[in-house]
Amino acid sequence: MSSLLVISLAAAAVFAIAALGELLEQRAGILNVGLEGVMLLSGTFGFIAAKTSGSYLQGFTVALLTGALVGLLHGFFSITLGSNQVVNGMAIWILGFGLTTYIGYPYTGPLGLKPFPTVAGLPTFFLVALALAIAIWFLLFKTHLGLKLRSVGENPSVAEASGISVTGLRYLAAILAGMLVGLGGAVYSLVYNPVWNYNYLQGWGFIALALVFFSLWNPFLVVAGAVFFGILWQLSLYPELLFPNVFSRYIWRAMPFVITIVVFIVLSTRWFRLRWGATKPEALGLAYQREN
Amino acid sequence: MRAVIGDYTIRVERRADLRWWHTTLASVLAIVVSLFLVGFAFLRVGADPLEVYSEIVKYAFLSEFGLPQTINRATFVLLAAFALIVPLRAGLWNIGMPGQIYAATLAAFGVAYAFGAKRSVNVQLPGELIIPLMFLAALAAGAVYGAIAGFLRGRFQVNEIVTTMMLNWAMLWIVAHMIREGGPFMGRTAEGEGFTLPTSLRLPQILGVPLTVYIALALAVLLTWFLAKTTLGYRIRTYGESPRAAEYAGIDATRISTLVFALGGLLAGLAGYHYFAAVPGVFKIPKNYADFGDFSFYGLITGLIARNNPIAAIPVAVLFGGVSGGARFMQGKLRLAFGIDYALLGVLMIMMVAFQALAHYSVRVERQAAVPRPQLELERGESRVESPRH
Repeated sequence: MSSLLVISLAAAAVFAIAALGELLEQRAGILNVGLEGVMLLSGTFGFIAAKTSGSYLQGFTVALLTGALVGLLHGFFSITLGSNQVVNGMAIWILGFGLTTYIGYPYTGPLGLKPFPTVAGLPTFFLVALALAIAIWFLLFKTHLGLKLRSVGENPSVAEASGISVTGLRYLAAILAGMLVGLGGAVYSLVYNPVWNYNYLQGWGFIALALVFFSLWNPFLVVAGAVFFGILWQLSLYPELLFPNVFSRYIWRAMPFVITIVVFIVLSTRWFRLRWGATKPEALGLAYQREN
Repeated sequence: MRAVIGDYTIRVERRADLRWWHTTLASVLAIVVSLFLVGFAFLRVGADPLEVYSEIVKYAFLSEFGLPQTINRATFVLLAAFALIVPLRAGLWNIGMPGQIYAATLAAFGVAYAFGAKRSVNVQLPGELIIPLMFLAALAAGAVYGAIAGFLRGRFQVNEIVTTMMLNWAMLWIVAHMIREGGPFMGRTAEGEGFTLPTSLRLPQILGVPLTVYIALALAVLLTWFLAKTTLGYRIRTYGESPRAAEYAGIDATRISTLVFALGGLLAGLAGYHYFAAVPGVFKIPKNYADFGDFSFYGLITGLIARNNPIAAIPVAVLFGGVSGGARFMQGKLRLAFGIDYALLGVLMIMMVAFQALAHYSVRVERQAAVPRPQLELERGESRVESPRH
C-alpha cells in the first residue's frame, strides 16, 4: 500500500511541476497548449545527456536549459510576433513530438543509472513540487513582482500605463514556465519512468494542461489535482492484478485515459464553470500590441 | 520597429492587410526551409541532400511503385486535414484523428468479422452488400467517436484538445487489444496484426487507385461549398468568429460543436477506411498501426498550411504524402535511424507557424538622404507649435 502511495506521489510530481510552470505563465496571460512538446524535448535531451554522461546533474541542467529555450521560442511567437497562441502551442507540441522521435530513437531503452535518491522514503521531486507550489503562491500573491505578473495577465494595457513592461514580464514568465515544464518532463524520463521510448509521455502534458484549468489558477489546487491524478493513474493499473481475467491487459491500459475524461466531466459542474469564468486571467491567450 | 545602420534604415512594420500571396509565399518558404533543415540529417550520414531529395521525388512521384503509394498516402493526409478543418472553422481543435481513424477501422473490420471474413482470404462473401456496410459503419464510428469530444466541449466546456488526446490513447490500446495476443481481430498467421480482408470485400479500384481517392477529391469541393454557401456552414463560421455573438443569434453551442466534431470524426473515419480497407497491399490493421496514427498529424499541418481551405489542402497533401513516404524509403536505403519523417513533421510545423507569423510583417530598407534637409523657414505669424503627431 505504501509503495503504491510512493509511486503515485512520484507521478504526481511530474503533473505538478509541469502544471505549476504552465500556471505561472497563464497568470501572465500566456497560454501554451504545447506542454507535451516542451516536456518531450526537455525529457529527451535530459535523458540523452544523463545517459551519455552518467550524471543526473547534467541531465537536469540540459533539461532546464532546453525548457528555457523552448519557452523563449514560444514567447517570441506569442509575445513579439503576436500570432495565435493555440497554434503556437500546437507547433511546439508537434515539434517536440517529431524531433524527439528522430533524435531520441538511438537512445531507446533504460537510463541505466542508480535510481534517483529519495528523501525519507518520499519521492524527492514531490517535495520539490510542494516547495515550488509554495514559492509560486508566495511570488504571485505576496510580492510586488507577482502583482505585476498578474496585472499583465489581467489587463496588459492598464499595466503598461502604470509603467510595467508587459513584454519584459511576459518573456520572464514564458522562460520560467518553460524551465519548470521542462523539469517536469525530465522528472518523468529520469526519475518516474527512466526508460526512453518514442512519444513516451502518453499525453501527460495534456493532462497537466487540464489540471491548470481545473485548479482555477491556484498553485495548491494544482498540487492536490496532481496527487489525485497520480493516485488515479497508478490505481487504474492495479485492477489488472486484482481481476486478471476480466479484460485483457490492453483494455486496462486504456482505462486511465477514459477515467481522466470522466473526471473532467464530473468536475465541470455549472458552479465550477461560473467560478472558472470569474477567475480566468482576463487576457489569457491574447497577444498584446503596445500603442505607439 | 526601426533600426538604423549607417545610411540605411530598416523598418519592420505590421501589415494592415494580409494578401493571399503573402500567406502563400509564407507557406512555400516554410516548406522549402524545412526540407533544407531536414537535409542536415542526410548530410550527417555523408549523403548529398540534393541527391537524396531528387531520389525522393523520383521514387515518390515518378516511379511505378511509389506513385500509387503517394496518392494513397496523400488521400489519407487530405482526409485527416479535412477532419481538422471543419471543426477549426468553428474555432475548435480536433487533434483526435488517430482515435477517430481507428474507431472507424475497427468498425469496418468488425462488420467484415461478423460476416465471417476472418476464416480465409478466399472466402466468398457478397461484397456488394458488405462493402457498403463496412463503409457506412466506418463513417458512423468515426463520427460517434469524434462527437464525444464535441459534445463535451459544447455541453460542459471540457477542453477539446485534452479530450481528443485522451481518446486517441484510449483507442490505440483498444486496437492493441483487438489485434494482439489472441484478440478477436488478430490475423491467423501473424502475431500482432489484424486479419487480412478477403478479396471479395475489397473496395473496387478505378484507374489503379481506390474509389476512396475520388471520394476525397469530391469532398474537397463539397466541403468548400458546404462551408461557404450553406446556412449550416455559415452558422459554423459565425460560431468560429465569435461564440458569444453566435449564441445571441440563436445558434446552439452544444449542437454546433457536436456537429463539427461528428463531421470531423466522419472524415477521419473515411481516412481510416481508405487506408486499411481500400489501399492495395494493406487490407488489414498493420503491426505498426501507431505509426499511421502519428502520420495523420500531417493532416494537422496540411490543414494549417492550407489555411483551412479544403481545395488548397490537396496539393499540400500530395506533397507531404510523397515526401514522407519517400523520406522513409531513403531512410531505409541510407540506414538512417527511425523517424526522419517525424523530424520533418516537427520542423515543418514550427516553420509554418514562424513564416505565417512573419507574413504579417513587412520589411523595408530605406536609404537616408546624405544631405541634411534645409530647415524650414518660419513665416512671421506662423505657429511654432508642432503637431503632436509630428
